[in-house]
Amino acid sequence: MPTHFSRRSLLRGITAATAVATLATGLTACGGDSDAATTTDAAATGTVTVGQLSNRAAQQAELKVSEVKSISAELPESVRKSGKLVIGVGALPDGFPPLAYVGSDQKTLTGAEPDFGRLVAAVLGLQPELKNSTWENMFVGIDSGKVDVAFSNITDTEERKRKYDFASYRKDNVGFEVLKSSTWNFDGDYENLAGKTVAVDNGTNQEKILLEWQAKLKKEGKKLTVKHFASKNSTYLALTGGKIDAYFAANPGVAYHITQTAKSPNPTRSAGTFSGAGATLQGLIAATTKKDSGIAKPVTDAINHLIKNGQYAKWLAAWNLSNEAVEKAEVNPPGLPLDNS
Amino acid sequence: MTAETLETPAIRPAAVEVHDVHKWYGAHRVLDGIDLTVQPGEVTVILGPSGSGKSTLLRVINHLEKPEIGYVSVNGELIGVRRHGERLKELSERAILAQRSRIGFVFHNFNLFPHLTVMDNVAAAPVATRKLTRPEAQELARELLGRVGLGDKTDAYPRQLSGGQQQRVAIARALALRPGIILFDEPTSALDPELVGEVLEVIKDLATSGTTLVIVTHEIGFAREVADRVVFIDGGRIVEQGPPAEALDNPRHERTRDFLSKVL
Amino acid sequence: MSERPGSAVSSGSAPPAEAIPRPEPSSAVLHTAPRSQGPAEETEGSGGDAQTRLLSAQRVLPLRRPGRWIATAVVLVLVAQIGHGLLTNPFYQWDRFQYWFLRPVILDGLVITLEVTAYSAVLGLLGGILIALGRLSGSPVLRAVSWVYTWLFRSIPLIVVLIFLYNFSALYKTLSIGVPFGPAFFTFDESRLATDIVVAVVGLSLNEAAYAAEVVRAGILSVDQGQHEAAAALGLPKRYQFARIVFPQALRSITPNYVNQLIGLIKGTSLVFYVSLLDLFGSVQTMGSTYPGDIVPLLLVATVWYLILTSAVSVVQFYVERHFARGATRTLPPTPLQKLRTGLRERARKEAAV
Repeated sequence: MPTHFSRRSLLRGITAATAVATLATGLTACGGDSDAATTTDAAATGTVTVGQLSNRAAQQAELKVSEVKSISAELPESVRKSGKLVIGVGALPDGFPPLAYVGSDQKTLTGAEPDFGRLVAAVLGLQPELKNSTWENMFVGIDSGKVDVAFSNITDTEERKRKYDFASYRKDNVGFEVLKSSTWNFDGDYENLAGKTVAVDNGTNQEKILLEWQAKLKKEGKKLTVKHFASKNSTYLALTGGKIDAYFAANPGVAYHITQTAKSPNPTRSAGTFSGAGATLQGLIAATTKKDSGIAKPVTDAINHLIKNGQYAKWLAAWNLSNEAVEKAEVNPPGLPLDNS
Repeated sequence: MTAETLETPAIRPAAVEVHDVHKWYGAHRVLDGIDLTVQPGEVTVILGPSGSGKSTLLRVINHLEKPEIGYVSVNGELIGVRRHGERLKELSERAILAQRSRIGFVFHNFNLFPHLTVMDNVAAAPVATRKLTRPEAQELARELLGRVGLGDKTDAYPRQLSGGQQQRVAIARALALRPGIILFDEPTSALDPELVGEVLEVIKDLATSGTTLVIVTHEIGFAREVADRVVFIDGGRIVEQGPPAEALDNPRHERTRDFLSKVL
Repeated sequence: MSERPGSAVSSGSAPPAEAIPRPEPSSAVLHTAPRSQGPAEETEGSGGDAQTRLLSAQRVLPLRRPGRWIATAVVLVLVAQIGHGLLTNPFYQWDRFQYWFLRPVILDGLVITLEVTAYSAVLGLLGGILIALGRLSGSPVLRAVSWVYTWLFRSIPLIVVLIFLYNFSALYKTLSIGVPFGPAFFTFDESRLATDIVVAVVGLSLNEAAYAAEVVRAGILSVDQGQHEAAAALGLPKRYQFARIVFPQALRSITPNYVNQLIGLIKGTSLVFYVSLLDLFGSVQTMGSTYPGDIVPLLLVATVWYLILTSAVSVVQFYVERHFARGATRTLPPTPLQKLRTGLRERARKEAAV
């Protein structure tokens, strides 16, 4: 995040910004040159390092990826000319490890999602440029064209499809996290949730599933209390404080949190996982682009290229996410339906 | 500055000429056709019951209040307005401020600047109006403060002084601009009885030095002692005027007698 | 000094009690019921006069306040308990606190907080003065525009202001200087000008100016009308009247209110993550997600830093207020150092006297 380094006086900030902007144009020109180089040498290969600075969440790996001319040719003219792919990540102020977070050097944005964005950029022959912002600003960034594509654990929903095009790349598995001292287990049966208080994040696949269970239990005359918190940090504080019985969240995050708190005064454990497929439909995580920007198709092809050539599996393995693999990427696959009933 | 001659050209213009001034707040007439001429070097004391308009008259003279009708001139110069054909036109704020710097004004509640030392209170205006350099102004301030008997208080803040001392500083502050005329608005009304004397003493000094003074006060004894002329105002009109011997000791008008009987 | 009534008596109105010869019987009377008994003794005759004289020569015994002592003791015990709990409860993980307190990532965030606060405080105050002058101006248009500005920016949530500014380039691609509605002389690419910190400072300043305007306006209105009149009567130039006469006096009431604003602003900077800038609190939140086991110590790190900043501001406030109190009170309040010195001197004197 370049924002961390902008520590100067306002005036100097402005002049420096202009300087940076000028520099950037210079760099773009260079990028254009190297693009020209790759066109002559079709076999040019690059390496993308994944799992860096992961704070023990991943095994670092070097993956060989090269530009595929047939795919990059599908990109809109403007993106190809710019030579860079601006990748949006919505991990401010708190990240969601291991998917997107500030790494163990305490300044670099890392995680499975930005890594995958870099892999896709490599296939498209573009220089990746990560843009970390709040969740809201990430979407506004896509709207305004500041961001080409967002890789940020975004679930494909019909609601979002009205404004965005998707390229799906990962399944959505969810799990329960409880205090180590707790004796409760999910055991794959929602009946066990009767009388419990469970936290879940707003607008997520797992929220939808949980609310379905809540409705079912209500019909049986049982009560499940669902709570929402402003941030992950406050959710975890509520969990350690005993305000909630369990946190129902994306499983990679749960796994990460458990290893991280193992030595803290309030360790946690997993109380069972559940397929994000839910009862009816497999929830999918998808790269998100502005509707009709023409970026979703080449991104989907790039993902399929990565799946076919094995880098996809290696990337998931590096981050211990192999059980979330999809068979193939699709443009705008069916998403979670509009009505949340 | 366009010093304009008025209808009655004298060899030397009157120090103050108030011509048919009317002033009202809503339906309430405060000044109802005042005509008053003060000659240079003359000491005029204005008397009258409270609410009679005497303070307003004083404030009209240095344009702290605008007259609705009529005009005022000081040393032959129209105040706050200029002649434009047959009409009077309002002057710019800057020009009015410049005119005020030639007219001293002393308030009944002193209105010293509490955050400035006594020295700075006196020296500020000559410097701000570019009349003197800072050292010159300080030299003048020291001299004036000595004259009002406060040479040792230059570094004090106003609130550290007694009321009488504060009013004497206020007089020194007014003098620092070397005004041709000084207006006093009930200068002793906010003072404890034992402090009145020291302030009147300073004013008396000024009176004998030949400065033109217009004083609104309730101190009849003082008026008798220093005034060349006493003006009695009631209901926004001049009821009676004349030398103190006449106006105070032998008033012709019923309302003057009535007022004097209450004050004396 | 009102805090030391005893010493005032001893040094001022009455001679030290020790210097007065104290005959046994009179002191016995004093100790039982000095006030009601005094005149009664007098009427009874024999030696009454001498006794009243002695009464007036004695130092008044201060009232005993057992309730106050008990309350003090209770509070001390409670404070000790809280302190003990803070230090010993493993929940707070003080070892991790130590690790994080001076981490570069935290200090970077702190610098952002300080920087954004400093610029926004200054720009906000300047903007506030302009808007306050607008509201006090004679022009109805200026008055209305200033009022609307204040109304608007006090109503819009700061978050919305920040998000809008951050995405300003989506609304207006370029900014230009030129004739209004006419040709442009200079054109800027907005996204180049607006670095994150500029956006944050602009957003916070816009917001701050609306509040500062009211603080400044209240300060100006608190200056006595007589001051305006005196300045006008002396013919002081308009600008001088404001800058040297009215505003310095207004600052006396502006200072404490604006410092309140400032402290709010220091914490308000925690919203700048909306423009992708991580201040102290933002850094703590980010690290909290990467190191979820350390959330509590991280929050404590932020708390302690905010405590330090607020304390520093309060110290500055004390001296600034003292500066502007010149002339407003007859004597300036003593600085803590002066208090300490006089306190020690007082004590030494008392001990020497005993």
